Amino acid sequence: MFRFLRRRIYTSLVPLLVVLIGVFFLARLTGDPTSLYLPESATQAQREAFRATNGFDQPILTQLFDYFKGVVHLDFGDSLRTGEAASTMALRAFPATLQLAFATMFLAILGAVIIGCWAAYRPNSLADRISSLLSMTAASIPDFWFAIMGVYVFAILFGWLPTSGVDSGMLSWILPIATLLIRPLGVLTQVVRGAMVSALSAPYVRLARSKGAGDLRVVTHHALRNAAAPALTVAGDLMVGLVNGAVVVEAIFGWPGIGKLMIDAILQRDFAVLQAAVLLTAVSIFVLNIVIDACYALLDARVRDKAKV
Amino acid sequence: MSPARAVQQGRTRRTAAPGHSAGSTPAIILAGALAFSMVASGCTVANSNRGSAASPDTLRIVLQEEPPTLEACDVSLTSVGVVTRSNITEPLMERNPTTGDLEPLLADSWEQTSDTEWTIKLHPGVTFSDGTPFEAADAAHSIERTVNSDLACNVEGYVFGDADLEVEVIDPLTLTVASPEPDPILPLRVSFVEMVPRTTPLTERVRQPIGTGPYAIDYWDAGQRLSLVRNETYWGPKPDYARADYQWRSEGSVRASMVTNGEAEIAVGLGPEDGAGDLGVAYPNNETTAVRIQLEEPPLDDIRVRQAINYSVNRDGIVKALFRGLGTPAEQLISEGVIGFNENMEPWPYDPEKAQQLIDEARADGVPVDTEIRMIGRTGQFPKVNETLEVIQNALSELGMNVSIEMTDSAGTAEYQERPFPKVGPYLLVIQHGNQAGDAAFTADQYLKSEGFQSAGGTPEFDERVNEAGTKTGEERQEAYAQLFADEPNEVMQMAFIAHMNGVLAKAASVDYTPNSATVDEMHLKAMTRADTTETD
Repeated sequence: MFRFLRRRIYTSLVPLLVVLIGVFFLARLTGDPTSLYLPESATQAQREAFRATNGFDQPILTQLFDYFKGVVHLDFGDSLRTGEAASTMALRAFPATLQLAFATMFLAILGAVIIGCWAAYRPNSLADRISSLLSMTAASIPDFWFAIMGVYVFAILFGWLPTSGVDSGMLSWILPIATLLIRPLGVLTQVVRGAMVSALSAPYVRLARSKGAGDLRVVTHHALRNAAAPALTVAGDLMVGLVNGAVVVEAIFGWPGIGKLMIDAILQRDFAVLQAAVLLTAVSIFVLNIVIDACYALLDARVRDKAKV
Repeated sequence: MSPARAVQQGRTRRTAAPGHSAGSTPAIILAGALAFSMVASGCTVANSNRGSAASPDTLRIVLQEEPPTLEACDVSLTSVGVVTRSNITEPLMERNPTTGDLEPLLADSWEQTSDTEWTIKLHPGVTFSDGTPFEAADAAHSIERTVNSDLACNVEGYVFGDADLEVEVIDPLTLTVASPEPDPILPLRVSFVEMVPRTTPLTERVRQPIGTGPYAIDYWDAGQRLSLVRNETYWGPKPDYARADYQWRSEGSVRASMVTNGEAEIAVGLGPEDGAGDLGVAYPNNETTAVRIQLEEPPLDDIRVRQAINYSVNRDGIVKALFRGLGTPAEQLISEGVIGFNENMEPWPYDPEKAQQLIDEARADGVPVDTEIRMIGRTGQFPKVNETLEVIQNALSELGMNVSIEMTDSAGTAEYQERPFPKVGPYLLVIQHGNQAGDAAFTADQYLKSEGFQSAGGTPEFDERVNEAGTKTGEERQEAYAQLFADEPNEVMQMAFIAHMNGVLAKAASVDYTPNSATVDEMHLKAMTRADTTETD
């Protein structure tokens, strides 16, 4: 098991490095922060002093080396905008994103299990149609459109919900979660439905029925337990997508998470904050993946054995 | 950019194991984490410790973007000035946007005491929000800091250029300010300097200044909210609201909805289609949009091509169809009310046939009129900016020109905005200029002189005339600048003007506020009062 984990961590380091180097160069391709932070009339000397103070006067590879040297010493640089440590800003914003992602995933799993089981148990029922509609919606509607329409309908037309912000308690959660929920709910419902259809026709379910088990017991105690594995495999991927994909939703709804921080940092050419936010997100996603992999390895010897090859 | 997606793809695929029955562990982890985070936070969002004080005593304002700083010496930057100017800090004198007159604020009077020197008398009994008295030494320090220091203040570049000022304290309520050359509008320039205490560092910018204004900063949660609280020791009339909360949302429709939905009292930077409805208030915002034509590279170095571009811009159509009539077709870079505005000018006529004729002539003379030209615009610069560029691109394509559109963000356009310009082939830049100082000098020095920071070019003769206009006063000054604006299209033509713009803000019925031409750059909280809501039976 330890060997498996070690191997997973090593294989994760390569993409992590690729991401960090990629973001480092892509950020610098977006433009020189000097023109944003100094007025149009700044003299050449003032511009050079700004570049020197922030290390932008160094060759790009030297800047990259300095960045990694800082990362090793847990120094991620300071924000050009606020002067605060970039790591502090990223760590402060991240919990809000995690809250949103976990709450969405919890509801997606709950909804998918209920609708998926119902749809599988009664093909062509109302639940089956809801399940198809959800998956089509999930595949075809972009997040930002859903967000804007949600604001229009529920905040403006009916006035039931706040348009944005986080000041209205539970009500503040509804539109951001609803926007994020549609995709994982659609995908998971289809997966649960598919898995349940095959589970319900499996010999052990027929055996359970022949022993007199009722419908509810067959679904919850026999079929669902076995159908859960593929659904949870997909849920892991979707969870990664949620953490990663909260950018649009956070920007529109003013949700103070890591996605909004990234957008602000890109617009303000605040490289240190952008790099810290991406690093934190990437590391979290690696950890999430490794935890999920470890769970599967613990449960399934075939996964573990594969890693030994 | 999708870093985490790349990460995800680098991961070994897991195989689901049909038949095993204990696969619910990750679900337990997820649910557990959710339960922990929700219970621990009591349904409040992490990183949001302070709620909005939605009380009748709080004014909630939603802006397009968070100010990068509130540094008083950067107030000529719109996103800074709109929050800082005359709210947190104040200047010595203030231009009345309606009359154009310079009116006393922290200074009671100012008079010219020599060709180059002005003596300024301060208002007695003023204190900063931290309780220290405001005196001439503070005013002198603020001018030194903004104009003469190495801070590269935005105000310095926008208002003073390279000139340093000599400042001398005469007594606690008197100081003199002298410019190296006679400057008839020196008090107007000084009105851009916001007053800060003498303890403010000369070598470092401050993010949260102390001022004499009617409000002081209570807290600033970066990325979320800025809250100002009434300065109870304010020297002037007490403002109506005890607190002002600023938030920012990038989507115009969301900003408008916050007002219609009762979540904010004021939302700014709206377009006609953002849905403010009856709560939307349109006002001339002093901004003029134009296409700046780079003069150096062919085919744009040929004045016939530049004229053809001007003949192709259907200003009436753009204003009527795209801006829904909010604005007027533009004929010059400044708006009515600014000293130097030429009221006799007419917009360049829309004449596609004449444009075609000029292009054909240029082509016949060997000008490479079909060279690819980039037209660069800034996303969100003004409502319908994308459509405006498309209309112009289409008109130019019909002339046989090869124009591509590039939209970028403000940092992306910055390198094209100011000198030295990048050598990247011919391009057109869509610009928006607002002269909030009220004098054409602030436009002409930047845009009309051949080496002006934002000028595409000019001639030595024209530069001489711009310099000369700057030394004049009164009616002569007005006429000299007005003539410059009339002559520029014939002698240089570096612009195809589009429109004098209108701004739209949304205002809740509970607030009395009349926006003016300066609102886009300075939004005075003390001018916002509770509407008279007295009901009669």
